[in-house]
Amino acid sequence: MIRMENYSVELGNFKLKDVNLEIPRGEIFGIMGHTGAGKSVLLESLAGFYENHEGCVYYDDMPLDSIPLQKRRIGFVYQDYALFPHMKVRDNIEFGLKMNQVGKAERRERCEEIMEKLNISHLRDRMPATLSGGERQRTALARALVLRPEILFMDEPFSALDPWTRKKMRKLVRKIHDELGCTVVFVTHDHEDIEMLADRAAVVLDGRLRTITDNSGCFGTEDREDASPLMMGRTL
Amino acid sequence: MKRKTVRRRSAFERITVLCALTVALFIFTALSFIVIRGLPYMSQVITSPEVRFATGLSLMTAFISTAICLLLGIPAAYALTRTRMRFHRVLTVVMELPLSIPNVMLGLSLLLMFASMPGKFLSAHGISFIYNVKGIVLAQLLVNMPFLIRITRTSFMNLDPRLETIAETLGAGSFKTFLLIMLPMAKNGVIGGAIVAWSRALGEFGATLMFVGATRMKTETLPTSIYLNMATGDIGPAMACAMIILLISGLSLVISGFFNSKPVNGGGERQ
Repeated sequence: MIRMENYSVELGNFKLKDVNLEIPRGEIFGIMGHTGAGKSVLLESLAGFYENHEGCVYYDDMPLDSIPLQKRRIGFVYQDYALFPHMKVRDNIEFGLKMNQVGKAERRERCEEIMEKLNISHLRDRMPATLSGGERQRTALARALVLRPEILFMDEPFSALDPWTRKKMRKLVRKIHDELGCTVVFVTHDHEDIEMLADRAAVVLDGRLRTITDNSGCFGTEDREDASPLMMGRTL
Repeated sequence: MKRKTVRRRSAFERITVLCALTVALFIFTALSFIVIRGLPYMSQVITSPEVRFATGLSLMTAFISTAICLLLGIPAAYALTRTRMRFHRVLTVVMELPLSIPNVMLGLSLLLMFASMPGKFLSAHGISFIYNVKGIVLAQLLVNMPFLIRITRTSFMNLDPRLETIAETLGAGSFKTFLLIMLPMAKNGVIGGAIVAWSRALGEFGATLMFVGATRMKTETLPTSIYLNMATGDIGPAMACAMIILLISGLSLVISGFFNSKPVNGGGERQ
């Protein structure tokens, strides 16, 4: 379980303020909000990327600051996928396994397995610069998932994809989640991503967490005003 | 058939082109005199022991000083860009100060430092730099280290810090992240910087002259040889040395340009 208590962080002129949040193990949790609202900062805070913060984040009651980044068992996929540009697709995927001293034979096997699952086996010797958006996204996902993380964070993972690929990728993420049983936290500004993928969702407005809701219906009445642009406008 | 679009140059653009041509013509004219006057003396490179000594000494000291520059400069550039070091700004200014100080003054500072008590102590224990080949390396270090640090620092600063974060989430420690992610991605800048530092070391004169003097066949580097031979009216060896420096510097610039233009991602962006 991820628990965030009275968390605040200041980044230049922007401040994420007093966030309290609990995400149970195995849940798919969506974070929505306008551009500049603080969704990505919240996501990175949940991953523990910031050091100068107030409050605390816990993974299974362990304060996150006490766990080194290398030992957190998290996977992170950025909006532009942040693949290592000087490495081939296979080397990108195998990087984490190498760092965790996985033997060469097992490394190859796990790499081939995840590439097959994500249908990118044919890209193994390609450089990231030569891939399409969807291919990069699947490669970044494979790189994060090959280590079988307990929590997968994704920052607007589908925003650069065409509607058809987006739909396919949502199904794929759901399938992987069901297979691995990992917690998935993702940021989006597309309401459809929440509807199709998330178990619960939150809305971030002006650096504050305003609404948390399950995906069975609408956002709470008193927060309807905050959530309405997201519900009605579909995308922000 | 493709249509060629012809756009008239604005007055401002024409002035900038004229300025570029003037600068290029000035540099080309000045350097071409070295080539014209130096070519007849090129046979002296092989026959003159003095020119051969100066070339060997310059190449050796430049290689050693560049290697030390890389060993110390790359970690220093990393510390300046990626660690939360105390007195970060002050240290940056101190490290880059020699860039704006005349080389003669840098040589003088070394001379004063090693003529003082700690320098005398080192000298008494067999570690002598003044009027010594080791001093040439030290002078080249002081002149070129800030140059390499600045180029490497810029290369590191241009890297996406999120790649390091991703590497860490994948289990890489800070050294492996540096070695496997940052360094390969910044390699063009680092190699280009090293080549430029090396060619600058090869041509370093002011600090060397002040710190180790100009003694024939002892501390005689290529620029020192030009100075000594011109002072005594021996045009031949001076011209031969000038030609060698010009050739090596030109070659270094071409190699450095090659590394700067080469992408690290193994190919162009997908269209």
